[in-house]
Amino acid sequence: MSGFLSMPHLPPVENTWAAPAISTAVAIVLVVVVTVVVRSARDSTRTPDGFLLADRKVPAAQNTLAHLGAFIMYSTVIIMVGHIALNGFDAILMVTAFTIGSVIGVLIYAGPMRNVGGHTIGDLFVLRARERPARIASAVITLTTYTMFMVSMLAAVGQVAIRMFDTGSEPNMLLGGLVVVVVGLVVIAWVYMGGMLGVTRMLALKTVLMAAFVLVLTVVVLAKYKMDILGLLDDAQANAKPDARGFELLEPGRQFGEGSTPLSDQDPWVHASKLFCIAVGGMGMPWVFMRFYVATNARAARQSAGWASVIAVGFYQCLAILGLGAVAILGANNFGMRSEHRDITLPKLADELGGPWMSGIFGGLALISVAAVFAGLLINGVTSFTKDINAARGRRPEPAAELREIRRNVLVIGLLSIVVGGAMVPLFTHIFIPTVVDLGAATVLPAILYTLYWRRFNTRGLKWTVYGGMAVTVFMIVFSNGVSGDPTTAMFPDLNFKIFDIEPGLLSTPIAFLLGYIGTVTSDERNDAGFAELQVRALTGVTVPSRTSPVATGGADGQDRESQTPSAV
Amino acid sequence: MGTIDQTADGDRYVSLHNSPEFRALRRQSHTFTAWAGVVFYGWWFLVILLAAFAPGFYRQGLVGPINVGLLFVFVSFNLVVVVSSAYMRFARTRLDPLGDRVRANLEGDLR
Repeated sequence: MSGFLSMPHLPPVENTWAAPAISTAVAIVLVVVVTVVVRSARDSTRTPDGFLLADRKVPAAQNTLAHLGAFIMYSTVIIMVGHIALNGFDAILMVTAFTIGSVIGVLIYAGPMRNVGGHTIGDLFVLRARERPARIASAVITLTTYTMFMVSMLAAVGQVAIRMFDTGSEPNMLLGGLVVVVVGLVVIAWVYMGGMLGVTRMLALKTVLMAAFVLVLTVVVLAKYKMDILGLLDDAQANAKPDARGFELLEPGRQFGEGSTPLSDQDPWVHASKLFCIAVGGMGMPWVFMRFYVATNARAARQSAGWASVIAVGFYQCLAILGLGAVAILGANNFGMRSEHRDITLPKLADELGGPWMSGIFGGLALISVAAVFAGLLINGVTSFTKDINAARGRRPEPAAELREIRRNVLVIGLLSIVVGGAMVPLFTHIFIPTVVDLGAATVLPAILYTLYWRRFNTRGLKWTVYGGMAVTVFMIVFSNGVSGDPTTAMFPDLNFKIFDIEPGLLSTPIAFLLGYIGTVTSDERNDAGFAELQVRALTGVTVPSRTSPVATGGADGQDRESQTPSAV
Repeated sequence: MGTIDQTADGDRYVSLHNSPEFRALRRQSHTFTAWAGVVFYGWWFLVILLAAFAPGFYRQGLVGPINVGLLFVFVSFNLVVVVSSAYMRFARTRLDPLGDRVRANLEGDLR
């Protein structure tokens, strides 16, 4: 148990890239700009739906950018570049998996979710299950993933502070903690002030800035090789960190091969299971779904998701070039040479190519970028907490009272997150992001697929899918190498009670599907009218006014039907 | 997909659900999603399994440092673009008009 606070996960590294003065200046300028942008949205926050959904009037282009912004974070950009530099082909497969996962959003989630409308996935579940269990399932999924991801995002803020705003070779935990608190408070203020529209504009802005930065860096890397990508690959291959087992950088093996996972005989399934889970669960994130709800209509939601996945392909290909370019340009032994140092490769490359200005600007951008993801998370957590819990308790507050409640929840959940999250940062961080992806695959995906396509699905099926999938996933996480049995990265490095090295989602996803099936068929509940309503609404977006049999849908009528006319909206 | 439970008959959503326009929409939508999903994810699982269990196949060189594995990665990236844009186009040109007809039916009923 000892050694948590000294962060054994971060061995010292000579920091030659950080430009704290420039980063701080850039960060302050960006905070001012974002505050102005967020303030411009404050007129939209006068009603509950304005605050939580921007009145469903977010333009498609802006929504596309905000959608992308939800995926541009510390672990998918900075760490992935370092991962590619170290592990080459196998890591490139991982960024490919991110884009593969986005297709589920386009094909399955986006249109139906927007058509059914509402605020959370609970609005989808209530059409197939009794209201209270449906709302509670939605709240449990949303708030569990919120907590885990929030901790990871706060940790990322601290990490950016340590790497980019400090030049010491030892992690400056005091600075990290301070920055987490300050950035956390700023984010709460932003969300409070601008609501969903403010968050959307902020995410769109940061996507533009971050994408522009990555594009410039990629162009500079390619220009250095006079667009000769084969030459770049040759140099990368030549400068790569030698692999003890002899695997080349551009060939499979560094993550798949025997011995990639310490003290394990489960390779190559370990890496294969990660690629499976990202591709299947990467889109099953409640705070991604809110991007569908805020679109003007189903077509716009579909297009946001579609264009975001197309642009993401370009973005991740740039990251692959940057990762390999870092090896080629920085030269052997000059980038992050061990997995704990993967996050220094991109800053080092920026410093090499553009000096302190480039790396300084990157530091400021990275901080705002992670902060914006936290803002998106926070408003999603508040939405579920307010809407799902109220609905589960059968409360229907007046709009004015509900708005007060929402604002209070922003403050309470935000501050609680900083306290609880800040305390958890040194302990848990690195297992949470994969766990959330597993939950996306093992709870959200089966629940939504059954809801949309299986006529027989019912309350018990929903409960068994969601809680069963979650229980199996968490059980496997507890006995995974993220918790024990890995001397370098485990939460309890000195203990070893691990059983699983593979990513739990590989097993828990099919188990969740199975449990959902068994739960459904062992229950007599059957609601064909609810299924008809769901499919009609999900596929066409029509809402029949004044339903004659409100019982059949489990009381879904009411606050969430913002439109009672059979219109396309 | 079978018929609707009799007890629920008379409900507007149920009659819409049974209408030929809606059935056509649902069939087209589900067919596209199922085919695109199976082919696309089938490809991706093949890519993973080859990398895990037949790395020798990926190591075969093609041009300079490019090998079969990198080619497969490139194909996967582009497949994402193809599937996403194909679905956006399909939904715009085929599904949306069908949806409009279902909606027109309902509005006609209400008048």
